[in-house]
Amino acid sequence: MTGIFDALAAGDVIDGAAFAVSRETIRDFCDASLDYNPLHLDDAYMAGSFGKTNFGGVIMHGMTNFALITRMLTDWAYAKGAVHRRLETRWLKPARPGDTLRPQGRLKAKQVTSRSRWVTIDIEMRNQRDEIVATGEAMVEFP
Amino acid sequence: MGPAVETDFWKDAARRKIWDEIVPGEKRKTIPYHLTLEAIQRYCRAVDDLHPLYFDADYARRSVHGGLIAPPAIHILLMFACTPADDWMRSPGTVNAGQSWSYNLPARPGDTITLEARALDKFIRKERLFVVHDNVFFNQHGAVICSGRGWTIRPM
Repeated sequence: MTGIFDALAAGDVIDGAAFAVSRETIRDFCDASLDYNPLHLDDAYMAGSFGKTNFGGVIMHGMTNFALITRMLTDWAYAKGAVHRRLETRWLKPARPGDTLRPQGRLKAKQVTSRSRWVTIDIEMRNQRDEIVATGEAMVEFP
Repeated sequence: MGPAVETDFWKDAARRKIWDEIVPGEKRKTIPYHLTLEAIQRYCRAVDDLHPLYFDADYARRSVHGGLIAPPAIHILLMFACTPADDWMRSPGTVNAGQSWSYNLPARPGDTITLEARALDKFIRKERLFVVHDNVFFNQHGAVICSGRGWTIRPM
């Protein structure tokens, strides 16, 4: 474990799996999360505007981004005997059916505290046009 | 999914607090939720997260966790599972702007989950109405599973 933590360096890249968004994946996420907001299901509702915003159609749950980033982090941490401890995210662009999303992490810093060891990780989620749809920051503990 | 789950978010819309009525600091109503392996695995499949800690009982038993667990982001399900149909998080048009969560212990199949939740802040920015909510999930032993905040844009 000590060797694993010591070998990590700022700039190390963590690649997540690609995820193809469709109406079916959005519906599955509704059933999995119990979040049936019409933003994700109702074409007629989404034809309208929300104050200054018009999405132009149904959109994926923002928390799907969160879940996909979490999977990337836990796959990375579990394999190293480490623990995913924190994730902060901001959604910058909506994702829609037909988009393909891929998260990536970049190790920002290592920190040793009185009782443990930590890494902080910058997160970006990009779509198939290489647009950033979400950003974030994570902390992983190496007990 | 149990028959009690309401999938029509319009049905109780008139009973939910709008931005003007939400009081920062005021607790939200919450309900205990029995977390099943079926619900965990439905969530995992929906996000292509098939790690054996969530699916393979033998693998999980040999791990440091000693048994199957839920992935950290299971709070995505728990947020809706632990709140009633008239909770303002369900208001149609609620847009999620971002969230931050800290993780203490994994949730496990069979846990009874409780939630302490409140609006923490509300503000107007760029003509949009924001509410910040904060939340702590506990297991049946009173131990913290995770805690987090979210920023939502409220429907106008």
